[in-house]
Amino acid sequence: MLVLSRKLNEKIVIDDQIEITVVGIENGKVQLGIEAPKEIEIMRKELLEDVKEENKEAAKNNKLLDQLNNLKFDL
Amino acid sequence: MEIMSRDFGKLEIDKSDIIAFNSGLPGFEDLEEFVLLPLAEESPFIIMQAVEDPDTAFVTVEPGNLIQNYEFEISDKTEEKLKIDSISNLLILNIITLKENIKNSTANLSAPIVINLEEKLGQQVILDDQRYQVRYKIFDTAEEVAE
Repeated sequence: MLVLSRKLNEKIVIDDQIEITVVGIENGKVQLGIEAPKEIEIMRKELLEDVKEENKEAAKNNKLLDQLNNLKFDL
Repeated sequence: MEIMSRDFGKLEIDKSDIIAFNSGLPGFEDLEEFVLLPLAEESPFIIMQAVEDPDTAFVTVEPGNLIQNYEFEISDKTEEKLKIDSISNLLILNIITLKENIKNSTANLSAPIVINLEEKLGQQVILDDQRYQVRYKIFDTAEEVAE
């Protein structure tokens, strides 16, 4: 892993097309500004991990299916 | 062709019923083919069964059953991947996680399944949107039918 030190408002460039700027640093939180082409997908890693976990959880619970027939929605 | 399903046993399906998920689902990256099976007549729930693994299936529902004004933007990349040229062919589903106490069941509003029914292509899209939770309690809008 490459580790770089950057100060407030300094940037790094990845592959000539992705630019990341440190736009804020406070209370142990770093705020990043990211400029990238539209086809580059960017997301917080913990959200992806959370969705993986939830998918696994969701795939488990078939024993409860029967109960669904007793549910209806208001909307 | 014949497939084995988790909830309905052996089923005869048409090859054209298969929806291709070309990168699987997060956590299930190896499963690239699913079929949609209604839970029961008039039920809003749809079982999304993995063709390659009888033990993997998801309970899903269209978001209109859960929440009003559910909206998100489909990225250019997803549009291209799913060959989307009209939203009229799209089916949006949210995965339900059932809990022992059914009232605690949740829906994943943060990661809808987007399916192009015309092209039979699907993808689970992850929205980084504060409004939509990974574990949205569905029972707040659902009621038990009195026996």
